Amino acid sequence: MRSPVFFVVALVVGAVVFAASRYVENEYFFFAGYVVLQFIVLATAWNILGGYCGYVNFGSAAFFALGAYATVTIHKLYPMPIPVLMLVGGVVSGIVGFATGYLTLRLRGAFFAIATLALAVVLQTLIINWDFVGGARGAYVIRPNSFPLLGSYIQYLFGMMLLLTVISVAGARAIERSRLGYGFATIRDDELAAEASGVPTLRLKLIATTISGALMGMAGAPFPYYIGYVEPGTAFGLAYAVNSIAMPMIGGTTSWIGPVIGAILLGTVQQVATVTISSAVNLLIVGILLVDFVIIAPNGIVGLVRDRRIGSTTVEPTVFVLLYVLNLLPTIFLAKQGQAAQSIGLVFWAILFFVTYARGRMIGRVWLMVFPWIGAGLSLVPVTSETPVVSTVVLWSQGVAWLAIDPPTAVLIVSLVIQVIGMIYGAALERRTPAMTTP
Amino acid sequence: MNFPVELFINSMIAGLLLGGFYAAVTSGISISFGILDIVNIAHPAFIILGSYIAYILNTRFGFDPVLVSIVMLPVFYWLGAAVYQVYYLSFEQRGQEALRGLAFFFGLLFVTEVGLILVFGVDYRYVQAPYIGPSIRLAGFDLPLRMLVPFLLSLLLFAVLQLILTRSFIGRAIMAVSQDPLALRLMAADPIRIKRAAFGLSIATAALAGALLIVIQPVEPSVGREYIGRVFAICVLGGLGSLPGTLIAAMLLGVVESLTSTFYGPSWAPAVAFGLLLLTLAFRPSGILGR
Repeated sequence: MRSPVFFVVALVVGAVVFAASRYVENEYFFFAGYVVLQFIVLATAWNILGGYCGYVNFGSAAFFALGAYATVTIHKLYPMPIPVLMLVGGVVSGIVGFATGYLTLRLRGAFFAIATLALAVVLQTLIINWDFVGGARGAYVIRPNSFPLLGSYIQYLFGMMLLLTVISVAGARAIERSRLGYGFATIRDDELAAEASGVPTLRLKLIATTISGALMGMAGAPFPYYIGYVEPGTAFGLAYAVNSIAMPMIGGTTSWIGPVIGAILLGTVQQVATVTISSAVNLLIVGILLVDFVIIAPNGIVGLVRDRRIGSTTVEPTVFVLLYVLNLLPTIFLAKQGQAAQSIGLVFWAILFFVTYARGRMIGRVWLMVFPWIGAGLSLVPVTSETPVVSTVVLWSQGVAWLAIDPPTAVLIVSLVIQVIGMIYGAALERRTPAMTTP
Repeated sequence: MNFPVELFINSMIAGLLLGGFYAAVTSGISISFGILDIVNIAHPAFIILGSYIAYILNTRFGFDPVLVSIVMLPVFYWLGAAVYQVYYLSFEQRGQEALRGLAFFFGLLFVTEVGLILVFGVDYRYVQAPYIGPSIRLAGFDLPLRMLVPFLLSLLLFAVLQLILTRSFIGRAIMAVSQDPLALRLMAADPIRIKRAAFGLSIATAALAGALLIVIQPVEPSVGREYIGRVFAICVLGGLGSLPGTLIAAMLLGVVESLTSTFYGPSWAPAVAFGLLLLTLAFRPSGILGR
């Protein structure tokens, strides 16, 4: 499909979604939907630089927050309509993206990644010390109650974000299939060879950082109106940084559909998890899924569907142990959260089952896969106290570890398990409910 | 205007002591990032893990935090070796370390931090030891033992690491693997085994650095984030792979940060490290003692 045609189709799809959403009675749908859409834009923006060019940006939150704070500044001076704010936010973040790229992209890739981490902290410190936009105290931005023609204001914000989503996804797809996209791909595959063949790599990378930064800024621009109160901690929150990396990684980085799939899946899971569990568990889930996917499915869900093959290293003893221990963690924490959390816990039991099956088949002990089955079954049984579940889980992990690994490596396992037990022991020692908020 | 000499010197001393501690924190990164070229951004998470282990054993059994960390060195060594094995098999072997390897460490950082938050909450934790609290007076200036002990231990750590890297067989092998893995292979040595040992060594330093951290200041799980920028700033500023450079850069950063927070206010201090990092990257990427 040609890019302009795709854009029209995407626009129509967006319009249909928006028209259909008008029939939703529950206002909360728009609040949740807005966040998911915002993550689609962030993930797509990250992917233009990270997925297409292979340069990792850890500072997505900084670009997002710049857009948000551009809005706060303008709001204090002279309130303007949302589309204008989006453009301004885009321009500001685009310029910063360009500057960061210009300073670091002549160096090796890792330096760019570290510089973006640094950028986020420098910008946050500047904002904290800038009293005009509220400093560390934060700033209130009063959202109008209604918007002409549409009724409630949140529906208007939802609509604007939907439009931005359509533009950015169609844009990413157009880039992917243009000369620019091929240039990006050469940088990702072999920058030296690309440079030697006459690809203007520095210029292309600068274009990528600018577009990527600008889109993140545009996603952040309506944020103050959405949330009503902005302070540096939320605007620069690490959730944005980790999500905009995890979503494309989980969906698949090489094509435009990957970030969209990843953002919709992970965004929805997080919305459910935030409501039913807590935001800390929420981040744990994202972190573990990120590690799982880069190892088990290096090309994301898109690659999994396309190749019908998992990462071949999953069955290696050490990798297996890491995945096993890592995926046991959420099942332990989710077991404490009661029945509402069990549906998400089952995701991790499924991954454990999958990993154990792969390893079991390789060493000729396929029956090992019954361990996660039993664990999953136990986790569904309602228990009065969390302790039996926790101890069962630890016992199972030890059993599987001893059976699935050769004796020399078992020493390693035991030390890992001891650490897990130590953590749980520490928690039992405290005899206090864990705090449920991230700073 | 009367320049406050006394305050300035006090601030300098505090900065030097702080810098010594930063050096201990950075030594691990200096090995993994500087020598092995592994961008281990999860290193601060291992440091915090070390802090919490020291905290648990200190509050439960009253063991000395530094002693605990020395006992934990082998455990962290094996942990590091295991992480490197996973990293090598899944990413380095296939040339995917630039994108997926970074994401892997980023994920590990998150999992450790959030896991600690879920178990211990976000309260600040601290340890008890005889050298926390008192300070000695030297030539009219106060030297708090809480800072002096980590400073001396970190100098000791640097001396030991420098000796290992330049004198011992495995240390020389580590330096060799950073220069030319292929040549090493031709000498019938296994570069992967050596890199695994080196990475284990780098994570082992995190056990000690973690104990020093919780001696210096109360710790909560997300404290590690503040150190990501600092350690990489120090590592780049000092010149990749140079331990003496790292030490100098750490002192420099400690002094600059201390002066900033004394004369401009503590809220500006975090920006110093990163600002310095951005400037170094832009103008002298090879660092002070860069190769």
